[in-house]
Amino acid sequence: MSLRTKALGGLILAGCASLYGCAGQRSEAALQQAGAEFQTVKEDSNVLRIAPKDVIRAGESLARADRLSSYWGSGSDVVHYAYLSQRYSEIAREHTKQALNDERAAKLELERQRLQLALRESKLQSVQQQGKWLEEQILALTTAQTDRGLVMTLGDMLFDTGEAELKTSANRVVLKIVQFLQLNPRRVVRIEGYTDSTGGRQENLKLSRSRAQSVADVLMDLGIADSRIQVEGYGDDYPVDVNATERGRAQNRRVEIVFSDEKGQLGAAR
Amino acid sequence: MSIRPLFAAMTLVALAGCASDPAPNEQMRLTEQALEQASAVGATAADMPEMKLAEDKFNRAKGNMSDESFKNARMRAEQAELDARLAEAKVLTQKSEEQLTLLDTRIARLRKQLGDAQ
Repeated sequence: MSLRTKALGGLILAGCASLYGCAGQRSEAALQQAGAEFQTVKEDSNVLRIAPKDVIRAGESLARADRLSSYWGSGSDVVHYAYLSQRYSEIAREHTKQALNDERAAKLELERQRLQLALRESKLQSVQQQGKWLEEQILALTTAQTDRGLVMTLGDMLFDTGEAELKTSANRVVLKIVQFLQLNPRRVVRIEGYTDSTGGRQENLKLSRSRAQSVADVLMDLGIADSRIQVEGYGDDYPVDVNATERGRAQNRRVEIVFSDEKGQLGAAR
Repeated sequence: MSIRPLFAAMTLVALAGCASDPAPNEQMRLTEQALEQASAVGATAADMPEMKLAEDKFNRAKGNMSDESFKNARMRAEQAELDARLAEAKVLTQKSEEQLTLLDTRIARLRKQLGDAQ
């Protein structure tokens, strides 16, 4: 063996060693990083439950990298398998995050549906309460007359003397009637006009009828179907008080609204 | 006799071993599939660094395949496959987070309305 070949061999060996040294450092770092990563996913019970396969693959790749690191000249293989191991760990963690999010989303979805139902219920309840309240108000304004059903009286003060048009002060009560009829869609009404005995009979019949009609018109304008409204004018018939006194006459000038029962059965007209 | 020729022979054998890696056709197919799957859920190289890595490595693996450098092709394709799978998983996680945010705002709105109603 010549000196030349010895020197060459030494050079090659030194080159190998230095290469191995660099590669060895790099692979050692990669191995450590992958090992740390694997450790964290391995100890996470959620990851183990949700992505066990990825954890196993991370472990297998890591073991392979570890085994290769004891061989000469296998630096790039070590780095490669450490890389794969790390990726598997990261994938396991992502899958876990996603699955946990989905689990939470499923719970939130149930909560959302529960709240939606509760909201619908509370809205419904408030409408019902409102309806009930309104019904009580209407009942308070009406006088139950067994032979004619529920009757509400709109007094003389809601009209100007001799005029058929409703005053704006009647708005409140008219709106209440409209709401009541909207909440009770099967009820119908008969609107009856009356006057006192002052003036001619024909004139009184006409005035009583047009007052009743003007109430009906307002109800229709506010959305009540005309098929639910009957209009009658009775002139000075059926007084509720004496016509001899001013107070009595004022009582007699009136519009009465007769409500049907809930099934739409209206008492016979007079 | 020295053992040096033996070393040389072993090195040659090792090199030959590298060179005689079989063509990783199956792995290339797997990687391509993983890339397709990732882009199907909306992973793009533009906003996913893992996706960019996957595409670059897969392209280099294809180059290695035509050079018949099969070991490099296999390693790059294997890495690219996992890069793509990670990109896919991250996109899905992001989507699930967006879903959670949406649900949270909806629930907050419902609670507010319920509070107002009471």
